[in-house]
Amino acid sequence: MNQHKKVVIVPCSGIGKTYGTVSREAAYEVIEDLRAEQAQLVALSLLVLGDDDARSAVGQYPAIAIDGCKLACASKMVEESGGHVVQEYAVLDVYRRYRQFKPRGIAELNEGGQKLAHALAEEVAASVDELLAGEGGQDA
Amino acid sequence: MPKLPEKKVGIVACSGEELAEGTVTRLAALRVLEELRPRDTVTICLPLFLAGGEGDRAFARFYPTIAVDGCELRCAARATEKYSGKPAASIVVTDVVDEAGLDQPKGLRHLNEASLQAVEATAHHMAFMVDDLLGKRWSRRQGAFLDDQIPVEAEDSSRTATCACGSGIPIQSVAVNGEQVTLIALPVLFEQFQEVGKPPTPEIARELLEQVKIYNQVPEELEAVYLDVLRQEYANFCIEKEPVK
Amino acid sequence: MSEYLKYTLDKFTFQVATNRYYNADGVWAKEEDGQVSIGLSDFLQQRSGDIAFADVVEPGTDLGFGDEMASIETIKVDISLPSPVSGTVIEANPAMEMEPEIINEDPYGNGWLAIIEATDWLADQAQLLSPQAYFEHMVAEAEEEAKSL
Repeated sequence: MNQHKKVVIVPCSGIGKTYGTVSREAAYEVIEDLRAEQAQLVALSLLVLGDDDARSAVGQYPAIAIDGCKLACASKMVEESGGHVVQEYAVLDVYRRYRQFKPRGIAELNEGGQKLAHALAEEVAASVDELLAGEGGQDA
Repeated sequence: MPKLPEKKVGIVACSGEELAEGTVTRLAALRVLEELRPRDTVTICLPLFLAGGEGDRAFARFYPTIAVDGCELRCAARATEKYSGKPAASIVVTDVVDEAGLDQPKGLRHLNEASLQAVEATAHHMAFMVDDLLGKRWSRRQGAFLDDQIPVEAEDSSRTATCACGSGIPIQSVAVNGEQVTLIALPVLFEQFQEVGKPPTPEIARELLEQVKIYNQVPEELEAVYLDVLRQEYANFCIEKEPVK
Repeated sequence: MSEYLKYTLDKFTFQVATNRYYNADGVWAKEEDGQVSIGLSDFLQQRSGDIAFADVVEPGTDLGFGDEMASIETIKVDISLPSPVSGTVIEANPAMEMEPEIINEDPYGNGWLAIIEATDWLADQAQLLSPQAYFEHMVAEAEEEAKSL
């Protein structure tokens, strides 16, 4: 029987690359539109700096990390902060699967970036479903 | 002639996802970085900074930073202080909103009008802080900045003494009142002075101090001590540079 | 000479490996027993950004000096890379298919692009930049880009 009632989503929200904005947008879409009841967003900096609520959430629920690039800041810091990353997404890898959605812009995503964020959000939502149904996670 | 590093200001934004103010910090920072002060500022990516990004941490250790946070938790300011050094300035969007008499920002992904106003107010606040930190002065009469910056030499430099962290930032540690103090750009300043034949006199030490103060904070009450230290260190440098007879 | 020449601009440090030659585009060539391995300089990979795709010519392809030997695609750029050596491609890095980001992680090591059996290495080398010359070229380019902001 699956004991998890929620999944924590941690985007990197990096400000140096468009991938960071895609990670942020995808996370928002999951928690606001696609899986509002089942997913909860935790801010990475709050988590790393020791916020009690953030630490409690990652301690209690499995985490999906959405990293912009292969530096994998979110994945790394969630693990170091006591969380368990059951699924990692790197937007760079996701872009390779959706080459037609080339993202541009950091403050504001272009159309390709918005579509990429949406595609990623759908994949994350599917992962949330799998996790809550009791199946394992993987790198994507 | 060896080249001095160009002084810039690092911008660290919290980008907090849980409040509209977090998104405001992100957009305000990007407005400054990309449009208002692109040549004077450098992005410090907070997640990379937290995860150990040495380039970002080294930059924030030696150059002034502005932390812009969405709320009083001040994640960007605290992270900067924890991993590099206290930011030269810290802005909280809620304070900017209150001072400007704006409505509270709303919307995480799609900012409302109040949020957009907060972005502009915060961005301009940051831009003025950048100018202040870089010592630039605005002339209302001329409608432009007064050019009182130290000119950067056009010629490339040979390798200079740099921080052990591998960042390439030229530094030198000196003893001030028994404590080790790291001064950025000092090796390059010594080279520049020595190359044009300036002797290690008290007057030249005063010139050195004014240059050092561009890159480092020197407490006013310790200036006399710094003068003495710089004169002595520069004298040692000149002796080492003398050709062996 | 130390293993790398280093230049720091703002928060970025660019390294130039001193045991190879470079073309002005930032492609390096390292010769060993008549075979030349090639790849991207640290400056070129940093400036280009995270590499999403890297396509290298097939083994068996004959290349002239300056012919396109690979192309890379990032969010910022799509660039064609001219070969710094003439000869026949004997191996293309298999990692480029699935993990081209290795170019960003290790541009002078595991991020190599191809190995070429050189036709006349000495003639090609004479057209390339020494590490010091490339370093100076790179510094000038980096500073020019910074000024254009």
